[in-house]
Amino acid sequence: MIEDICLSDILLESAKEIFETMIFMDLAEVTEPDQDIEGDALLGSITFRGSLEGCLSICCGTSCAQSIARNMLGIDADDELTEEDTCDAIGEVANMVMGSVKKRMADNFGDLQVSIPSVVSGKELKNNLGDIAKKVSTRINIEDEYVSELSLLYRENQK
Amino acid sequence: MAKTLMIVDDSATMRKIIMRTVRMSGLDFESTEEAGNGVEALEKLDSAPVDIMLCDVNMPEMNGPDLVKKVRELSSCENTKIIMVSTESSKELIDSVMADGANGFITKPFTPEKFQEKLSPFMN
Repeated sequence: MIEDICLSDILLESAKEIFETMIFMDLAEVTEPDQDIEGDALLGSITFRGSLEGCLSICCGTSCAQSIARNMLGIDADDELTEEDTCDAIGEVANMVMGSVKKRMADNFGDLQVSIPSVVSGKELKNNLGDIAKKVSTRINIEDEYVSELSLLYRENQK
Repeated sequence: MAKTLMIVDDSATMRKIIMRTVRMSGLDFESTEEAGNGVEALEKLDSAPVDIMLCDVNMPEMNGPDLVKKVRELSSCENTKIIMVSTESSKELIDSVMADGANGFITKPFTPEKFQEKLSPFMN
């Protein structure tokens, strides 16, 4: 069943929907293989369970995360933005993209229960659900300025 | 008479986005309260009931569906209209929370027009 749907397309379409309607930023898939996230980054994640279980994440550089937060909050570049504001915004991005992904996957996987999002910061951040999980990821370019990564780790629930 | 509003969401960012979208919808409120979860919302409602509550579903401490049930037990909030605002969109959840006393459901992503449509019937 999972082979019948293209999860990377679902991820990209969902992210585009959220960035265009709620964050007011343009987003495009990265086609150049050498573009990467460098330096300090934030990883916003949200887990889901049901007939499919796993974790959806967005990883972006600190300056990208701050730009997303400023757009979401509607504040200028000169206005103060706390680390808490930035983390909260990235968590909410993960939450909203997951909501959109969930809606698009409902016909194939039924209702998925999602967690409350979490955010961590650091360098070279990666999520892991063990060897049996599969991973779909897609690089995105936000506002033609920032490279970020969307990923979906998943496994079919055998219970 | 102007109405009072409470926004209940564990994300401060989302509370601000909702507030901005409500303003963009053209709806005017006399006052706006915020709460980060169901427990905090109940404490505030206990001292000052509101006309309309916009409520997230997934929250720590007390989630949205549990908050709806609690609010409906409060005689002081019998006229409070509760609109759920969430990324959750399953029919089962919407039916369940509406049966428990919610008055509407807005799914994310949302627009000012959606708030206008869902809240206007309760503004008079």
